[in-house]
Amino acid sequence: MKNGTYMHISAEDMESYRDLARQFCKKSLQPLFEGEYSDGNLSLLPEKIETAFKIGLAASPEPSMPGNCYGIWGASVDEEGMKSSLHLLSIIAETCGGVAMSLHAQGVASNLVMQKGAEPVPVPVPVRVGLCLQEGFTPPYLGTILTPDRDVPARVMVTADKTANGYLINGHKSFVYSMHDVDTYVVFVRFGETWACFLVPSRSAGVSRNDAGVRTGLRACSLGHVDFRNVEVPRDARIDDGNALALMARALCMNWAGMAAIAVGIARGAAAAARIYAAQRYQGGAQIEEHPAVKALIAGSEASIGAAESVVLSLSDCNDFSLRTLGKAASVKLAATDLCARAVTDTLQTFGGYGYMEDFGMEKRLRDVTVLKSAAGSPLYLKQLIFDVEKEAAI
Amino acid sequence: MNSDAKNVLRERIELLHPKNAVKNMNLIGRMLADNREMSVWEHDTKTLPLGVRRWRRRALKFAREYIRPLAPEADLHPHDYDPKPILSAAARKGFQTLLFTPPIGSASTLPFLRGTTLQIAVVGEEFATECGGLALLLLAHNLGIVPLLLSGSIRTIIRHFFPFYIKSRILGRPDCMAFAITEPGAGSDVEETEGGAMANLVTTAKYMPAMGGYILHGQKCFISDGAKADKVTVYAKLEGEGIESWTCFLVEKGMKGFSVGRSERKMGQRASDASELIFDNVFVPKKNVVGKLRSGWANNRNVLNYSRPVVGAMALGHGRGAFERCLEFCRRTKLGPKKLIEYQEIQVELADMMISLWAARSMIWQSCRQFRCYQSASAAAKVTASDTAFKVCNQAMEIMGDHGYIHSNGVERAWRDSRLTQIYEGTNQINRLALFEHHMSSDFYIEES
Repeated sequence: MKNGTYMHISAEDMESYRDLARQFCKKSLQPLFEGEYSDGNLSLLPEKIETAFKIGLAASPEPSMPGNCYGIWGASVDEEGMKSSLHLLSIIAETCGGVAMSLHAQGVASNLVMQKGAEPVPVPVPVRVGLCLQEGFTPPYLGTILTPDRDVPARVMVTADKTANGYLINGHKSFVYSMHDVDTYVVFVRFGETWACFLVPSRSAGVSRNDAGVRTGLRACSLGHVDFRNVEVPRDARIDDGNALALMARALCMNWAGMAAIAVGIARGAAAAARIYAAQRYQGGAQIEEHPAVKALIAGSEASIGAAESVVLSLSDCNDFSLRTLGKAASVKLAATDLCARAVTDTLQTFGGYGYMEDFGMEKRLRDVTVLKSAAGSPLYLKQLIFDVEKEAAI
Repeated sequence: MNSDAKNVLRERIELLHPKNAVKNMNLIGRMLADNREMSVWEHDTKTLPLGVRRWRRRALKFAREYIRPLAPEADLHPHDYDPKPILSAAARKGFQTLLFTPPIGSASTLPFLRGTTLQIAVVGEEFATECGGLALLLLAHNLGIVPLLLSGSIRTIIRHFFPFYIKSRILGRPDCMAFAITEPGAGSDVEETEGGAMANLVTTAKYMPAMGGYILHGQKCFISDGAKADKVTVYAKLEGEGIESWTCFLVEKGMKGFSVGRSERKMGQRASDASELIFDNVFVPKKNVVGKLRSGWANNRNVLNYSRPVVGAMALGHGRGAFERCLEFCRRTKLGPKKLIEYQEIQVELADMMISLWAARSMIWQSCRQFRCYQSASAAAKVTASDTAFKVCNQAMEIMGDHGYIHSNGVERAWRDSRLTQIYEGTNQINRLALFEHHMSSDFYIEES
């Protein structure tokens, strides 16, 4: 955004953004993986994330930050659609799914804050934000999205009550993906019969975070559970305009589309690694790429990745983040993560025993993509939601 | 529907339940209907011969008492736990000597004669249900012993099995054994005929008549239990010859020139090491040659026939472990007012997982129910079970949503463990080719054009 107006992103601009992401991967991220651990040297991660902010890949609600408009899920998404963010996430995920997830989580939460429009954002303006949406083991089902106070199937348990000066928030949010050291949480709560959305500084009295502990993958992205006990927030901390349903739909649409793009990136990285390995490794007196069984594994994977990519890019020009797009976004996440997980496990198979060891990074890719399948909406949940959304639309 | 109508409906449903409906039949009809309320595990156990049943029950008990408490830490910090107590406990209870019958083994005799590997397969499933890594730690040892048995040399069997039995079962200080075929440049090649013919092998044995033995030089990799093993059955080509001269040698810890290289960092089955073994001009006395010279290739291929059903059983265990922990999660987790297990979509998914596991178990037990294991049945059992296990583990993770990938819930560990079973003991692609090869002159014969 320049002087309050959006600059249209041309094809050249898009290519230079892609190039920026590639350079970030090459210069900043790849050194993380030079050690013997496939998850990389995570102690170096904060400075890499700092770089992502400086070069404008990471979005932030703070208007003076370079990524505010054109970073991943920056403000330009409302004009330009999802294309730019999806491409950037996918490119970064080729090198590390966890870092891509970190930038994605930051981007989605930032974008919600930016929806506050002309209303004043609380001072200081949040920079690193985390999204607290989920309770229990899945995001809300459609019944709950539409009526958060009823058990269809489960009511929302995190609540806000009005006080003289603002609101009092209580409850427990789970599986909050974010960058490390977020300064503010974007929290969805039940307020009476509707949704409300608040900005809650992470160091407020009554806010506590527990790390989710050891997990399968996406370890470069922070994951925790956040407790809110009698947390007082001022009136201007509320960022919705009376009902946060639209913000909820926006959060879910972006979240699923972004995760699908990350899955594609991970799978593309895996396929590229498999191609290189298959050309270098000899078995049975020939390069393994000459063996039909190996060819079939790689070609099948590439076909799956191509299909997944098409599915994800079908959302490229979409800038509608309302309930109308929810079913489509859920379908994209369901299909793309499944196709990509299959592709990654097949490409890993071409490495034989080496695929299972940390040396080639294939097992990390499999762990990462598998987490994407279950995180923030498992296939069972998504199927139910897709059905419900279609039914609701028909009614 | 009001509450009275609901009660009436509930009573009708209860009456229609097969266990109640059968009461309307005559005595013979009732006897022909099996409506016993019993778990699948119990049902399956009752189909086994008596001796195998006993081992299945013992293995379940052992897995819960010894493996379950150790599993999470052994997976997280594989270098910080001491494997000796569990190896010793397993040995004392007879689990480490199931490859032969009394007086030099602990397998139940009659069932052993009808199915050499069935007892180990049954035990393997129970162990792997709790932890893939610890199961491999205990079972890879059998893989190290089986070349001795399959060498057909009575002298070898008596010389090695008897002291091993005494040390294991009576003294509780078992020798841990490992099996070494894979080389850095030859993984799948040593598990398949055509690959073997073109394999790039470096481990070589040079005959030294003056010394009364062989000098072994070379390297093996990915050897399960390699770092812990006291003895290793190593395959090497004879100097100046190819893989057809492969001979099996028993190399003992402490032999000069024998050392352990790097232990791999692997995705799962982490409680058991996969290590590199280095043979730097190791002198191996003639008495440590296992079986005949140049019988190594045939011995190796037959070892795989005996080990693949057990690998399949371990995979089945990983799948079952994920299923059981997922089931427990569904029992205790609520979604709104109802427990997860009360939702129909969850019931369908859980039933599907159980069906898959049941089918895989049937196939494994079928492949084990003969005195001599054969290539196609073993390969088929391994492929089916490992693919099934990975699928079931994925289903379990998906049902549990975000809880599925958290380590403390145990399902993701089973998922990581199960993935290896599609790779080791020959990738599943190699196993498919093994099945084809076995029946090339029967089912898959090709007419000459």
